[in-house]
Amino acid sequence: MLRRHFPLALVLLIAALALWLPFLLPWSYDQIDWDAVRAPAFSGSHIFGTDDIGRDRLARLAAGTRITLMVAMAAALVSLVVGIAWGATAGWIGGKVDEVMMRIVDGLYALPFMFIVILLMVVFGRSILLVFVGIGLVEWLTMARVVRGQVIALKQRPFILAAEAAGTPSRTIVLRHILPNIAGVALAYLMLTVPQVVMVESFLSFLGLGVQEPLTSLGILVKEGADDMDMAPLGLLLPGGLLVLILVCLTIEGERLRDRFS
Amino acid sequence: MTAIPTLLVIILASFFLMRLAPGGPFDGERPLDPATQAALQQAYGLDRPLWEQAWLYISRLVQGDFGPSLVYRDFTVSELIAQGLPISLTLGGLAIVLALMIGVTAGLFAAVRAGQAADKTIMMLATVATALPTFVTGPALALFFGLWLGLLPVSGTGQGAAWLIMPVVALALPVSGAIAKLTRAGLASVLKQDHIRTARARGLPETKILFKHGLRPALVPVASYLGPAAAGLLTGAVVVETVFGLPGLGRYFVQGALNRDYPLVLGVVTLYAALIILFNLFADLIYGWLDPRMREG
Amino acid sequence: MSLYDIRNLEVDIAGKRLVEDVSLTVEAGQCTAIIGASGSGKSLTCLTPFGLTPGTASGSIKLDGVDLRTTDARHLRDIRRRLTGFVFQQPLTALTPHLSVGAQLQEATMQAGAARPSRRELAQKLERVGLARADERLDQFPHRLSGGERQRVMIAAAIAHGPKLLIADEPTSALDASLRAEIMDLLDELRAEQGLGMLLVSHDLASVEHHADQLVVMENGRLVEMGPTREVVTHPAEDYTRRLIAATPRLDEAAPKLSQPGDLLLETVDVGVEFRRPGWRRGTIHAVAEVGLTIGQGESLALVGGSGSGKSTLGRAIAGIGPVTRGEILWEGVSLPERRRRDLDMRRLIQPVFQDPVASLDPQWRVGEIVTEPLRNLRPDLARAERSEMARQALSAVDLAEDFLIRSPASLSGGQAQRVAIARAIIASPRLLVLDEATSALDPLVGAEILQLLRRLQVDNGLSMLVITHDIAAARRLCHRIAVMEEGRIVESGTMQAVIDDPRHPATQKLVAAS
Repeated sequence: MLRRHFPLALVLLIAALALWLPFLLPWSYDQIDWDAVRAPAFSGSHIFGTDDIGRDRLARLAAGTRITLMVAMAAALVSLVVGIAWGATAGWIGGKVDEVMMRIVDGLYALPFMFIVILLMVVFGRSILLVFVGIGLVEWLTMARVVRGQVIALKQRPFILAAEAAGTPSRTIVLRHILPNIAGVALAYLMLTVPQVVMVESFLSFLGLGVQEPLTSLGILVKEGADDMDMAPLGLLLPGGLLVLILVCLTIEGERLRDRFS
Repeated sequence: MTAIPTLLVIILASFFLMRLAPGGPFDGERPLDPATQAALQQAYGLDRPLWEQAWLYISRLVQGDFGPSLVYRDFTVSELIAQGLPISLTLGGLAIVLALMIGVTAGLFAAVRAGQAADKTIMMLATVATALPTFVTGPALALFFGLWLGLLPVSGTGQGAAWLIMPVVALALPVSGAIAKLTRAGLASVLKQDHIRTARARGLPETKILFKHGLRPALVPVASYLGPAAAGLLTGAVVVETVFGLPGLGRYFVQGALNRDYPLVLGVVTLYAALIILFNLFADLIYGWLDPRMREG
Repeated sequence: MSLYDIRNLEVDIAGKRLVEDVSLTVEAGQCTAIIGASGSGKSLTCLTPFGLTPGTASGSIKLDGVDLRTTDARHLRDIRRRLTGFVFQQPLTALTPHLSVGAQLQEATMQAGAARPSRRELAQKLERVGLARADERLDQFPHRLSGGERQRVMIAAAIAHGPKLLIADEPTSALDASLRAEIMDLLDELRAEQGLGMLLVSHDLASVEHHADQLVVMENGRLVEMGPTREVVTHPAEDYTRRLIAATPRLDEAAPKLSQPGDLLLETVDVGVEFRRPGWRRGTIHAVAEVGLTIGQGESLALVGGSGSGKSTLGRAIAGIGPVTRGEILWEGVSLPERRRRDLDMRRLIQPVFQDPVASLDPQWRVGEIVTEPLRNLRPDLARAERSEMARQALSAVDLAEDFLIRSPASLSGGQAQRVAIARAIIASPRLLVLDEATSALDPLVGAEILQLLRRLQVDNGLSMLVITHDIAAARRLCHRIAVMEEGRIVESGTMQAVIDDPRHPATQKLVAAS
């Protein structure tokens, strides 16, 4: 189990560390140690040193990871709910309703999405709530398409017709026959949505359009590190490496799950 | 056929969205006096009803006039686009060509060796590549090859083509990983299909089976990925241009967005939307060639 | 010396022996047929020696004096290139989708090293296999052709390079019943004309017995019996062969004992089903038009037709699980409303059984839940204990033990799954079953058992049945009357025997000839 799901276990370990480290470390993520600006790694109580204004790198890393994963999970759940509702409705009702609903999805797919999200951020201000609502609303499209495809395939399966002949009400058919049969695939795509969202959030934060100071996220840390990389490469490599590690693990796990259910 | 309406919807939606925003382009550090404010509003047509502004905008757009930039006051948006677009297109175009070359070759190689160590290694690398965001690889490449090894220029569009290498590689990496996976998966499923067995029953050599009978239908998923890939590259270009200090469209967009330069942002969104739609149309054409069953839709 | 000679063939896949000790021969100009159920190893036997399966073949294998027993892939490829032609089951997928018919036929013609054929020559090859407008077809892509046309192209390509042995793996089982005889006749003609040896594989004894010179019966990877077809069919030596012959329905077998039909139960009056064309295009498709049919108490009506004839659509309309756009369905003289407006009492009267037994059961549910699903809705008056008691009775009515209640659908064989589906259909005591190709996805022996089970339900319980099928001979074992459908209309109907003895409509004649 642990060997098979090593990537997932690793992400969970990282998440647990991100949650627990703040209680263990003597420094908080926004606290400035005036005595140790640009401290190198393993100097005193700063395991990974401090950044250009003297904040503890490890504490910031933990805080950034926490925010990034939180935003990712919240946004992925938004996409799950919206995607399943939209896709299942379109697939189950079918006909013109389905066509109109899926045309909308196709149309939205054709949009330069990141730019619309950036527009949203600019227009409605840069709040963290908006970050994940915005991202969630972007990322539901794939989920909706997948769920609709599954529902349409299931709808033609004889056991659904047999349920109708058995007098099972529509609502019960959707709840007891359709949803349990798409749960696996939906879970797999949820898993694949999380790294997507992590990517989008970090991208926005990198450009200064996502999570705002004093809060921090992996994207912000990468940005700070990139600005200061000629002086302190660790500031770029640590958050960048961690971000890539999380993305790789989640993608591997999600793809495995998807291959199992499709 | 839905391209024009889609584009129109995008333009209008972005247009009205921008106007919903609190604050305008002239809210500088210190407030302007009301008279100047009004004069500026009038000069740029911002005092007219919204619908009228939208109509005016679109009718000018049709003639290729994107309006004046509100922030870069000496330039029109068309001039800024003319300046930035070639750089962004060069980056994006080279990146997609590179990604296709690497991705299809790697995917093909892995599919032929399905189940073997080479296949697993390539697919692992592809997964890692897809998880490499440009905003991490860009600075990291600059750090290694620019600052530490001093092989490539870190910033600007200096002499020759060396300045293109790192931005294009950073852009192409995630796309090439995705294309490799799609090619591998497409070929793996096509090679299991009946028509491959028919070709094999004819005693054709394996390479001929692969290239003549297998490859084209296997690339259908790759073709359908081209649209999203184009969008991804344009987004990635924003980062890459910022990181490597290139005067492309993406940088203007970010600057425009941060400064509420409506015409500039609108112009860039319109252009990007048009590019992506164009790319999707192009992908549709490729579909028909890859698999004639799709021509009838 | 025989053209093709296999002795003591063994086939292994991943260390597992799937075919054991099979010997057979094919003579030039003659046909040897292998029959057996799915999993009997018949396809492995004929494809593995040529390297077309993942398995390895051992034993003595000689084609035209050349030894095939080799691990050299290039050598086998060379044999396939020069000496053999292959026809597969699925004409829909066996041709490359992005190459024109002409390009594929040209490739096949040149595979043994022949010069590039002229367009005229290619067109002639298509004409030879009975394709009209051959020149035009050369430029078409396979998806433009019908299933029968594609199979003709496959045959033209399989013999284009002048092979000595033609291997046909279920060449007709994906085709409409009425087309099967035509394709088999074409294969016979070509065989005689070109002196081809043919190795034919089929699960259906009836479809090959008039075409094969030698018959080989296989079960579980072993050879059961072989000999001249006539002899094996009339004097089978082995029990398995006897059961297989008994399970294969024939039009000339003794008439079955059926129940005595009672009063009129169901009547359709000018029933029509129209679909809007998909997409935003205008227009409608008339899937079913002006259908009038009747079913009496305890009577079974066979609804027979090719694919796309509208028989399933009509069946679903009657069962209340598909749309009805015109006309009326009367139950004992009272009109049954359309799909969504049928109340629970009406639902209880008619229950469906489908073709694909595995897809008929929700993979997430247990057999017990599946079987009692109708009771939960249609008999809300029952307590839980009564429901499970009835589930036990229903399972025993379909000859399944009680412990099946807790099994999951994935653990059932095709025949067991179909029994569960029938148990679900009969548990709420319906009066009419709509059986949509209920036996055609099953192996012959299993299908015959299910037919027998259905006949018992008909005779003992007085159940009426609408039997939707493409197979007249199978329907004859269960049905009193027959209605033949073509393009959404009923073109002929009458008592079973009368229609078989004297088919009037061309569609009926084709179906009868194919049985």
